[in-house]
Amino acid sequence: MFELLGAGLANLMQVKYLVPLALGTLAGIVGGALPGVTITMTIIVVLPFTFGLDPLQGLAAMTGVYVGGSAGGLVTAVLLGIPGTPSAIATTFDGHPMARNGEPGRAVWLGIWASVFGGMLGGVFLIGATGPLAAFALQFGPWEFFSLFVLALSMVAGLVESSVLKGLLSGALGLVVTILGSDPVMGRERLTLGVPFLEGGVPFLPVLIGVFAFAQIMSEVERAGGVERAAQGAQRALSLAASHVKVLWEIVSRPFLVLWASFIGVLIGVLPAIGGSAANMMAYDQAKKFSRRPEKFGTGIPEGVIASEAANNANVGGSLVTIMAFGIPGDAVTAVMLGALTIHGIQSGPLFILQNAQLAYGIFAAYLIAHLLMVVILAVGARWMLRVVTVPKAALFPAVLVLCTVGAYALNNTMANVYILLTFGLLGYAMVKTGFPLAPFILGVILGDQIEINLIRAIMTDADPWLFLTRPISGLLIAASVASVVFALWQHRRQQRRLAQRADGDADF
Amino acid sequence: MVPIGPGFYPRIVLGVTAVLAAALVIADSLASKRRAPPRGASDYGLVASMFALFGLYAGALSFLGFRLSTLLYVAAANALLAPPRSARGWARVALVALLTTVVVYLAFERYLLVLLPRGRWTGF
Repeated sequence: MFELLGAGLANLMQVKYLVPLALGTLAGIVGGALPGVTITMTIIVVLPFTFGLDPLQGLAAMTGVYVGGSAGGLVTAVLLGIPGTPSAIATTFDGHPMARNGEPGRAVWLGIWASVFGGMLGGVFLIGATGPLAAFALQFGPWEFFSLFVLALSMVAGLVESSVLKGLLSGALGLVVTILGSDPVMGRERLTLGVPFLEGGVPFLPVLIGVFAFAQIMSEVERAGGVERAAQGAQRALSLAASHVKVLWEIVSRPFLVLWASFIGVLIGVLPAIGGSAANMMAYDQAKKFSRRPEKFGTGIPEGVIASEAANNANVGGSLVTIMAFGIPGDAVTAVMLGALTIHGIQSGPLFILQNAQLAYGIFAAYLIAHLLMVVILAVGARWMLRVVTVPKAALFPAVLVLCTVGAYALNNTMANVYILLTFGLLGYAMVKTGFPLAPFILGVILGDQIEINLIRAIMTDADPWLFLTRPISGLLIAASVASVVFALWQHRRQQRRLAQRADGDADF
Repeated sequence: MVPIGPGFYPRIVLGVTAVLAAALVIADSLASKRRAPPRGASDYGLVASMFALFGLYAGALSFLGFRLSTLLYVAAANALLAPPRSARGWARVALVALLTTVVVYLAFERYLLVLLPRGRWTGF
């Protein structure tokens, strides 16, 4: 394993890999720092640029975006109090007060170094756990895979903030998209309505790009002026000088906090589709609970910044594990990476790390090196990062949509993909407006064919449907998926009741 | 062996979807009518125009070609999102559109080996 990792690191040091990785990391940092541009949108924009590259170059660039994006959000979060991405929300709680108290350099560097520590701990898990988990998944039969995918889907549907029912329905609608076109087992056409380009089914990348890009951009367009106003006051020149020794000591002297926050980050990363925005909030919350001075949280203490930033970078490592060991994307970012693999004809799933060891260890190496590049880029550029916020959205959004169009078109050089992009863009925006979560829908679209193939394979092997429950691993996974939905319903009910109580309390006044 | 054809799985999926949709309709009609107050004003007209403009762009691509339609789309979308008030503003819109088009075109066609759509009418 260490030999392979060493080879991967040496491989990545070549200019042809280092350049895309550095550019990806830079793009991630800039995209992460821009309020209103998420890491998902950044990776969607980067995607078409990777079509002409070899698989490892493309995936290195994407890994860079992911790592850079998780750290880029902290600059705007600390200096302006606006989280550049949802994964930096908790960083604003203590980072911004610390910067306002006259220590912007300390706050920014605490965040950066905490990201590195969290990221590296996530990396240890990524490199150590992917192989064994994939080996474990290799013993799975079609029953287990079916149940695993159902578990992933029901967990995502249940973990959304809005209604559980809408989450489940959204996932089911994603599955409906995949039944269009020829069926994956026998190749017979279904529900194509005679439209020729539906014969091959709906390709998932244009769907994903359309749903996420339009939902995000149109929600910003709708709040016209809101983003532009936030950028005011960003022009001030700031000195970000800080003693690195002191900052590093502040982190190293709190090993329990760093470990716990990273553990939460990794755990949430492994679970499908909750993502960095949950990781940083939960780690911050935990840090507060375990602290001896919880009342100081929110006033600008280092613990808050460390917890949030360590967690959101560790989260990246966790999500990469799920995609590399099982082929299940943990969030929209890894879903795009999965798409990039498919474009190059690489089969994801438990065989990935065995069949493509060089590529897999290349991704591990890219993940580790991206953290170093991130420190370098931020050391040089953090001061200018605030200028980035002043880029007018009116010029940015059309350019992003053009790149989305190129991305969809260039997948297989057909205009049909651009029409799919627009159609699902409309759907994505409509879903956001009506409170349907996007994550379960996308996961449904991605897993749909695999769910069907494994279901049919299982039944063809043995007609007994009870096998899904009586095979131990499969049964356990199904039980877990039922439990996750029940838990989500219970939690949602409790939250509703609490909200109702609070509303009643307010009404008394 | 059980007779399962291409319709087996779609029936399950559509059935589950129908049940969930029905459950949502019932749950919503049983829920109290309390609605969250609308937060801030939303500019839906602008959203609709942006979608329409993108639709025109998608349609124009195969007739005008990538370069021409992208130039027009970026300029129009930019002007729609932030209407320029002076000649300088219009010049900036034109410059942004030109730069976006040229940079994207060169990056993809020259360096990344991605061929972009040519126009049926313009051959360009």
